[in-house]
Amino acid sequence: MSSIDRRPPVRRYEHGSRVPGWDEAVDLTKPPATVPDPALTPVPEELRAAIEAEMAKYPDRKSASIPALHLAQRHHGWCSPEAIKQVACVMRLTPAYLTSVASFYDMFYLQPKPKHDVYVCTNITCSLLGADELYERMCEAAEGHDISVRGFECLGACDIGPMASVDGEYVGPLNLDDPKLIVEDIEAGRPVLEHKQLRRRAVADAKGRVDDFDGIAPVGQEGN
Amino acid sequence: MPHLLFDRIDEPGLNTIPVYERRGGYSALRKALQMPPEAIVEELSQSGIRGRGGAGFKMGQKASFLPKGEMAKYLTCNADESEPGTFKDRELMQKSPHTLIEGIIITTYATGIHHAFIYIRGEYQLQADILDAAVAEAEAAGYLGENILGSGHSLKLVVHRGAGAYICGEETGLLDSLEGKRGNPRLKPPFPAIEGLYAGPTLVNNVETLGTVPTIINMGGADYAKIGTEGSTGTKLISVSGDVQRPGNYEIELGISSREIIYGLCGGPKPGRTVKMWFPGGSSSPVLLEQDLDLSYDFDTLAKAGSMLGSGAIIVVDDSHSAFEVMQKVVKFYAHESCGKCVPCREGTNWTNKFLARIEAGESTPMDLDILASVQSQIIGNCLCVLGDAMAMPVGSIVAKFRDELEAEIEAARERANALPLTDTEDLLALSAH
Amino acid sequence: MPRPEQKIIKLTIDGREVEAVQGTMLVDAAKAADVEIPYFCYEPKLGQPVGACRMCLVEIEGIPKLQTSCSTPVRDGMVVNTQVQRVKDAQNSVVEFLLVNHPLDCPVCDKGGECPLQDITFGWGKGRSRVIEPKRHFVKPLALSPLIAIDRERCILCYRCVRFSQEVAEDWQLIFTERGSHTFVGTHDGHPYVAPFSGNIIELCPVGALTSQPYRFRARPWDIEGAGGVCTLCPAQCNVEFTVRDDKVLRVLSRENPGVDDGWLCDKGRFAYQAIHVDERITTPLVRDGSGELRPASWEEAITAAGALGQHQGSVGALVGGQASNEEAFLIGRLLREGLASADIDSRPHGTVELGLTRALAAPKLQATVQDIEFAHTVLVLGTEPLDDAPILDLRIRKGVRRHGVKLAIASARPSALDPNAQLSIRYAPGAVVEFLSGLEWALTAPGSGETHELAQLLRDGGEDVVILWGESLPPAALAILLRIAEKLGLAEREGAGLLEIPAGANARGIREAGALPNAGPGYADTTTGRDAAEIAAATAAGDIRALYLFGVDPLRDLGARAEWQAALARAELVVAHAGVLTEGIAAHADVVFPAESSAEKEGTIVHPDGRLQRLRVAIKHPGQVRAGWQVIGELAKAVGLDLHVLTAGMAFKQLVAAVPFYAGLTLEQIGGRGVRWPETEAAAAMPAGTPAAQVAVTDVASGPRPEVNGHLAAGTYRSIWASPEVEISPALKFTVAEQLVELAPEDAARLGIEHGSTVQVAQNGTRLSGRAVIRTGVPAGSVFLATGIAKDSANALDELMVEVVKSR
Repeated sequence: MSSIDRRPPVRRYEHGSRVPGWDEAVDLTKPPATVPDPALTPVPEELRAAIEAEMAKYPDRKSASIPALHLAQRHHGWCSPEAIKQVACVMRLTPAYLTSVASFYDMFYLQPKPKHDVYVCTNITCSLLGADELYERMCEAAEGHDISVRGFECLGACDIGPMASVDGEYVGPLNLDDPKLIVEDIEAGRPVLEHKQLRRRAVADAKGRVDDFDGIAPVGQEGN
Repeated sequence: MPHLLFDRIDEPGLNTIPVYERRGGYSALRKALQMPPEAIVEELSQSGIRGRGGAGFKMGQKASFLPKGEMAKYLTCNADESEPGTFKDRELMQKSPHTLIEGIIITTYATGIHHAFIYIRGEYQLQADILDAAVAEAEAAGYLGENILGSGHSLKLVVHRGAGAYICGEETGLLDSLEGKRGNPRLKPPFPAIEGLYAGPTLVNNVETLGTVPTIINMGGADYAKIGTEGSTGTKLISVSGDVQRPGNYEIELGISSREIIYGLCGGPKPGRTVKMWFPGGSSSPVLLEQDLDLSYDFDTLAKAGSMLGSGAIIVVDDSHSAFEVMQKVVKFYAHESCGKCVPCREGTNWTNKFLARIEAGESTPMDLDILASVQSQIIGNCLCVLGDAMAMPVGSIVAKFRDELEAEIEAARERANALPLTDTEDLLALSAH
Repeated sequence: MPRPEQKIIKLTIDGREVEAVQGTMLVDAAKAADVEIPYFCYEPKLGQPVGACRMCLVEIEGIPKLQTSCSTPVRDGMVVNTQVQRVKDAQNSVVEFLLVNHPLDCPVCDKGGECPLQDITFGWGKGRSRVIEPKRHFVKPLALSPLIAIDRERCILCYRCVRFSQEVAEDWQLIFTERGSHTFVGTHDGHPYVAPFSGNIIELCPVGALTSQPYRFRARPWDIEGAGGVCTLCPAQCNVEFTVRDDKVLRVLSRENPGVDDGWLCDKGRFAYQAIHVDERITTPLVRDGSGELRPASWEEAITAAGALGQHQGSVGALVGGQASNEEAFLIGRLLREGLASADIDSRPHGTVELGLTRALAAPKLQATVQDIEFAHTVLVLGTEPLDDAPILDLRIRKGVRRHGVKLAIASARPSALDPNAQLSIRYAPGAVVEFLSGLEWALTAPGSGETHELAQLLRDGGEDVVILWGESLPPAALAILLRIAEKLGLAEREGAGLLEIPAGANARGIREAGALPNAGPGYADTTTGRDAAEIAAATAAGDIRALYLFGVDPLRDLGARAEWQAALARAELVVAHAGVLTEGIAAHADVVFPAESSAEKEGTIVHPDGRLQRLRVAIKHPGQVRAGWQVIGELAKAVGLDLHVLTAGMAFKQLVAAVPFYAGLTLEQIGGRGVRWPETEAAAAMPAGTPAAQVAVTDVASGPRPEVNGHLAAGTYRSIWASPEVEISPALKFTVAEQLVELAPEDAARLGIEHGSTVQVAQNGTRLSGRAVIRTGVPAGSVFLATGIAKDSANALDELMVEVVKSR
């Protein structure tokens, strides 16, 4: 079977799971996680009020679970088991229900994370325009800072690609020097790359523009 | 061609009621409230407007599917704009939120709905804040709430932020997500118009579709239908990105040539480069080639050409990029975004992803492209929703249209990996049967 | 909610015209027509189809895309093809996709041989794989709970287990986390999936991903046999299938019976089979010797010793425990009445109910069925916690609310697990149920406001089909009012309405019907009235009764008035007991102990609370020296000079049928595997009429103001689902063993300075119990709830209502 012996070896790839928990058993010393009893679950008053306000917006209180998780994540920095338990207590749901929901969505963190978020879009348009290298630079620049950098799927701003969302502020098109500036702006607590913010950019369509617009010209139309 | 949605959209303050009203805003609402609700649905039907979100279903027809009479019915505006390459709704919501709100009020009046939601993707924080402010302003001005402008129509509008999941752009995934669940698509039937949000009849429309409603009411459906082509009426907001010199959002009349968009409006690729392939309707659409640039940009022509208009997002790839690289990005995206509910999509996207990793590592043979293509055809039509197809169609089209290049890529990867050259078919069989 | 009407339609499957009920899912209609369509995720018991596995795709003419037959209701004239090439291609594709990440470790998989994935791969797969990409590999198996192991590599994410947790048990503990191919089954933050019904997910799993910790690797499918039986650990009497290997029960599975259990089991029923084969079980007769020790004895010796009962003619008291079969209860009645000249026999732990009222409450027309719960307009749960008292009914009530819009009301002293599902939950103070019910009766006819009136309105105007589930622990005065309420609501006249008693013992209804009552003979016949349980205790303690015959009951554990029983057992000259385990009272006081059978060994009949006679059949032979109960009673009768003429279990059944007029004509064959509800038979007319509602005596209900003594609390009791000797000795269930959990209102706990989880003392008249404090929102201030039926610190030591709860030092 000489031909088979000459086969190139098929490498085994690591499973590549980003998932904590796959390899973990439960802790049998813990009690089952049922709906938390209000008498035993202290919830910060402002968080409770905010969650209750969200619940009031919907015909079914469960609809507020994503807004409530946003609130809890903001309050606690991440969707910690305690944060989830507090939301569960206010919403009268099991913590598991909310864990299930939170883990489905990319913007919720079930692990502790740095304070600031930089999402670098690495989807098709941005990567055609050099996002992969930008992402690496961004990771390097953020090292040692309280900043989480993630390669993100399309953020809906391909017109300014390659781009990033810095704590929710869309900036682009970014060049390879920008990551350093972004980190500096974050550390200084000032608006990030103001001259590249999407919120200030004019529409590309010429008929959409007005003379008194004082923002940034569309990409590729700086001369116009 | 008239500019219906983007006309001087950059005007400062357009996101507030005074400027919006000065420009004629909310006049369509006043007009609509004088009309019987059925007449509005009729106008929408006459306008021929097709859904601007991706599926291209006729809006008037969708609205007419909704049961009549008083019951818990809902309208959900799909602002989860997540299709790679698409960013048109973002511009509209950010700069003229009241266009959308007015469209929503008119549509709910026409269909007897009293509870509406705008499901906006969580990443659009700026736009969501602007919408929140605009809704509050509209409530204060009496455009939302009880007995709107004395018409007897009441509407509660809630801006709901998502949290990052492409699948929530699928209408039933969106509904589950809005109900506070994981955004898994539902089985259809029942369709949302019969059993949607909270099991009530639900109308789900894209931002741009609803944003066009005031225009249709102002112009009259018949006049609106005169714009564009017979099967694709009206204007369309398109997002052009990738290897073009002037990327961005444009409002076009449906039926202009694709070349006019890519070269005329957007300046084409950088000098010296040519269009290698282009996605006409987001990354889910099968790719077209340079030779297809003269196709009319409308729903029917693109469908006939084996692709689709989708969300109106054109991604241009020039000849500096390899087909393999494009395919890999597409696959990685869908594998990441598959919700995992149904088997062909979950396993198919994931398998395809591993497949490409193997090609890249120099561990595959050109014959594997047949398996790759076959896996795509096994996904198409067998999934719960369209996400699986959304990967399989473009990937299938790239394999079919760039077969030679991909084979060369495989050989090159093998060389890089110092794999033994493939000499005879016995080796190939031994490999692929393993 | 009336049951839907059924319409038969015709459709064509693979060229053959077949009939089906309109609205049936295509996959079921096809199965009924002998066309098998493979599937993984479909399971109608779990609610709406999800269409996730895509295995059941078929071609329906007129629809371009293949459709999932699990979610497509059949329509008249539908033409379906399941054998065309595109369907086969789709099936091949799905199998191939499923195996992309499945480890195919069948040789070492516990599911091997009974695995749907194996079968479907063989039947509908291509038999060849093109996947050479590496699969996921993970640590396995992992503990999901003390009872369940999870192997995430094998999981095909079919949704069955999580749907069970979310849509059947509604405990919402088991979830999918993450997304796409990263999705996995898990729980919140590493908490175990511990819930009363968790074991059902093992049976639902179509692959080897969820396996039973106690059953793993104990047998292969070809080593085992299935034997049908009925679980007798609680009155729900779920139908089970014992997995038997070499005369040992290795596993318990559901034997779905829609009229009883809907195909679910609680974890007690699923795992307490282990009590059959543990060292703690008594498998030989025991006799107390001269030194006061219980020691193994021969049957002759034991029967001779027990035969001394004959020397106490007219002075023997007998108690029959809830797990006795009808035949056993019947034969014990004969032994007492005919052989020992005593009428002092009882099976009710909560006191005697006047015979006319007993008959009236058991009247055939007034009986609701289990299925009525699901389709009623309104269900009222009165003075019982289904989750503890008859767990599987908890699921049925949830199903009714969830699927059929049943309006649920709860009236109880203790907060209920069903409160979140209820439209109305009313808390009355412990001991105040009579006042509550008389208020309700009054509210049914008089206008007014408040929650009692709301309930009255719901019962009266919420639709005619009202089902009231009531707990046996209600005092007789409450039962009289209940009967009048039933009369006012016209429950006897409606097919889908009625009362459903949740008795304290598993076969309490059958035992009563067989005549183990102090005031009724077999078939609720008039008889010489004897002493009830409490009177037997008093008479024994006073020396008026000199011998006790305890069939499957330990008064110190199962009954109230612990102090009195302690005195009685100490004073009795002879105590003869049948027991499976040496519980406290038996170990300390029995002079003769006969080893009791388990339900897997027993032959006989029992009666479900809704009147369904069910058969217990022999699944395994008796271990050790154990003998059949009917046989032992017969031998004992002989020893006291009475020949009962029972040589087989069947003969005992025949005697029973002859003695109970409303069982007339019933045969074991008729009862079969699914049971027969006697209230639906013609013989039901022979049931003696009860006292009409208008004439039942109602004692004075005005109990006056509650004594408020220095912040003492009114104590209610509960018996946890886990409070049973079988659970205690089942190794797999050791983690659940019930202890004294003292449930306090947050206000009271704060006032008393008691922290959640701390040790507290509950005191009354010098009696002290130790327990762990559980602060529970929903417990009304002023009330405290204490566990009974547990081995240590049981609340049956307390006789009075008011207790003092203090921190332990």
